[in-house]
Amino acid sequence: MKYFLQQRQFKIWSMVLALLVLILLIVVPLAEIFIQSVYRNGQLQWSAPFRTLADSDMVSVLTASIWLGVCVILGTTVLALPLAWVMVNTRLGQWRWLEIVFLIPFMTPPYIGSMGWILFMQKNGYLEQLAPGLAGLGGAFFSFGGMVAIMSLHLFPFLYLLLRGALERIGGNMEEAAAVMGAPFLYRFRRIVAPLLLSAFGMGAMLVFVKTIAEFGTPVTFGKRIGYEVMTSEIHKYISSWPIDFGKATSLASVLLTTCLLVWYAQSLVNRKYTYGLVGGKGVRRSSMRSSNWLQWSAGIYVFLLLLVSIGIPYFSIVAASTMKLRGIGLAWNNFTLDFYRELLSWNSPSMKALMNSLWLSLAASTIAVFLGTWFAVLIERSRTRLQRTIDLFSLLPNTVPGIVLVVGLILLWNSPWIPIPLYNTYGMVILTYVVLFVPYTVQYVKSAFTQIDPSLFQAGQVFGAKPGYIFRRVLLPLIVPGMLAGWMMTFTIASRELVGSLLIMPPSVQTSATYIYAQFEQGQVSLGMAMAVISVGLTTILLILLEVLGSKRKRNAS
Amino acid sequence: MVNMTRNTWKKGSALVLALTLGAALAGCGGNKAVEDTAIAAGESKTTGAADKTLTVYTAGPEGLANKLVKEFESQSGIKVETFQGTTGKILARLEAEKSNPVADVVILASLPSAQGLKKEGLTLPYPGAKNADKLNKDWSDPEGNYFSTSASALGIAYNTKLVTTPPASWSDLAKPEYKDQINIPDPSLSGSALDFITGYLSDKGDNGWSLFEQYKANGVAMAGANQEALDPVITGAKSIVAGAVDYMTYKAKAKGEPIDIVYPQEGTVVSPRPAAILKSTKHEENAKAFIDYLLSDSAQKLVSDAALLPGRTDIKAENRANLDEIPLLKTDWGWMGEHGPDVTDKFTKLFK
Repeated sequence: MKYFLQQRQFKIWSMVLALLVLILLIVVPLAEIFIQSVYRNGQLQWSAPFRTLADSDMVSVLTASIWLGVCVILGTTVLALPLAWVMVNTRLGQWRWLEIVFLIPFMTPPYIGSMGWILFMQKNGYLEQLAPGLAGLGGAFFSFGGMVAIMSLHLFPFLYLLLRGALERIGGNMEEAAAVMGAPFLYRFRRIVAPLLLSAFGMGAMLVFVKTIAEFGTPVTFGKRIGYEVMTSEIHKYISSWPIDFGKATSLASVLLTTCLLVWYAQSLVNRKYTYGLVGGKGVRRSSMRSSNWLQWSAGIYVFLLLLVSIGIPYFSIVAASTMKLRGIGLAWNNFTLDFYRELLSWNSPSMKALMNSLWLSLAASTIAVFLGTWFAVLIERSRTRLQRTIDLFSLLPNTVPGIVLVVGLILLWNSPWIPIPLYNTYGMVILTYVVLFVPYTVQYVKSAFTQIDPSLFQAGQVFGAKPGYIFRRVLLPLIVPGMLAGWMMTFTIASRELVGSLLIMPPSVQTSATYIYAQFEQGQVSLGMAMAVISVGLTTILLILLEVLGSKRKRNAS
Repeated sequence: MVNMTRNTWKKGSALVLALTLGAALAGCGGNKAVEDTAIAAGESKTTGAADKTLTVYTAGPEGLANKLVKEFESQSGIKVETFQGTTGKILARLEAEKSNPVADVVILASLPSAQGLKKEGLTLPYPGAKNADKLNKDWSDPEGNYFSTSASALGIAYNTKLVTTPPASWSDLAKPEYKDQINIPDPSLSGSALDFITGYLSDKGDNGWSLFEQYKANGVAMAGANQEALDPVITGAKSIVAGAVDYMTYKAKAKGEPIDIVYPQEGTVVSPRPAAILKSTKHEENAKAFIDYLLSDSAQKLVSDAALLPGRTDIKAENRANLDEIPLLKTDWGWMGEHGPDVTDKFTKLFK
């Protein structure tokens, strides 16, 4: 009994510690935003944020952000839903390598992707050089619709992964049952698939919405061209260009934060109402209904077109721009050079250092984030107690809050004079920022792995007299390792291309590949920046493919 | 029973994870400090000085800044950390670090911002700077709060493939033949663009706004900082930049890009690039040595090689138009510094 009490006590302490860590890392920086927005010139002014908002411009900027978010949800749905269906229900699903290819748009830094589109579609751009007859398309593309298209093409992989997972869980039985009863395809979709998909879709749509209104790269490159201003570009303007106004920036950030939290709350309400127990003990079987040849072909064409638009066009521009001697000449064989790659990859060059910095910083951050996230996820369990739910809420906050808001909060906190640890302007600050921004990925992946484990497995271990450490090592760990690995990969991929946080918190003389690219654009070395983009996305892709290959080998050995 | 065992492994794992995190973050936090002391210790053995480091925040061009820092490091043995960005970014960073300053010296691309720093009492005067008497008097502070060690002139840059007869005056850009063809840099992001706009207004008075209103009516687009405005002109998406920074144009032209620049006949603005020591510096001697270096013959030579106007009147640039060859507006830097924020506001609202 005494032992049991000790255990209980320890569990509480571990949770309290986790809560403290979360409060320090995530909650206090966010609170700083709210505090700063009401605290102007050393005085408490409760009305300050409202006055900023009352400025008529701000309201229009907020609605512009929200409208963009809604349209991008539509755009990503149109792209991702058919794709998820195709990959689950047709023979294309057997090509596992496609999964990594689909991730490439998401791995491409958004401002690079937009830059690719701009170079392709603008007057005298690559499209006009390749097919002068199509010159007219350019004008139509530089519009709100074009911006939605670019952002949807960047974000659809995210929604796709969630929808595909959900479709696979639904399995074939229910649709088959309906088909036997004579329900046509559209009816089956409307009455069976759609309701079951709703909870996964709600989650995905919420994340797409938050990611869109939190996005900075596309608004700052493409949005500026068409004069479409959103919250992030306004916030960035106030904290990084003259005249600087932290008060306004934090007021806007508070509004953005509140919007995201409201959306999150609405989503969780929907989620609670429409979640169904889909995973029984019997395992999931693919539908045995075979789709017709006609369907197979159109599916193939759809995937091909999607890849052409989401990867083909932007990467054509990126690679073309990275191999041009003179940008004023354009596409011509005598204008081709690999000098920029040579300059980039020469040992000890600033670009090589930036690349190395990116790699080791994201390695360090993703590793810490995985341990931290696993700790939280294991504590959260099935979020039964209030304490567990609080840990759950706090640890997922960074995913529901725009990165730029969190980064501003982190700077405000870690650069305050009363902070005893001089972390600001060190590598530690960069790693801390990445960890805070991306820890939710591990929490989510490990949590979903954990909740699928039946407690009877632990009981079985216990019955056979295994010590707790042994159970952890031999039962729990192997089962959550895939989740940890997925979290690690996601964190590494995103951290290695992270721009906004890096721009604001890099110590002097330190660059990452993302800030290097940004700086090259600022210095007029567009070709050099594009070459760096090709190399850093290439490296990440190769790494993911290696992991996938190793992973599938491991699975084969195990079976 | 079940609870008990699950709690036990949880105990172990939680503890290990927490310790790992703590150690890892502490290690990262320490890194830089350790590095710094290591460098300092190494230096002090060889030179005997106390702290041989300096942090400089500098506005572009990056190539020039790197060359200056490298030469200064080898001459003085002082290790220089640099942060590079536009004038706006540097000022923003200074503001963010207000409670905990990091920079020792700043090099900006806009005189009014240096005047602003002085006015707020953030600069450290260095009246004894070597060669300061040879600097262009109009561009530097008589009390030694800031020294303009280089300058750029603003002009009309144009794509030579698209524009055969270059416009000769600022008002030409309002002509219908240039409709929707022109970029102008954003004064909230580019110090020199702000100098051009305020400089033009300080000469023409409030009537000056009519030019910018005509620009707006002619489809002139406000497009990011200087390079972002110039880039579409190089690729041919636009034809002209109004208020282009000349050294960037010269640099692209030297590479062979189809681009050139003219200075309009009614005159233009020269935008000095001031360097200043910040009062918060913990490396005063090093900072002063750096200012002396920026004013030296060899640094001024590097400046003119980068197609910028040298800050010293006794040094001429060979690869570009010199100051006496550029027609100038009658600019009032006092007025420009004072009205900068209002003009930025009005201008960005006009071009939104």
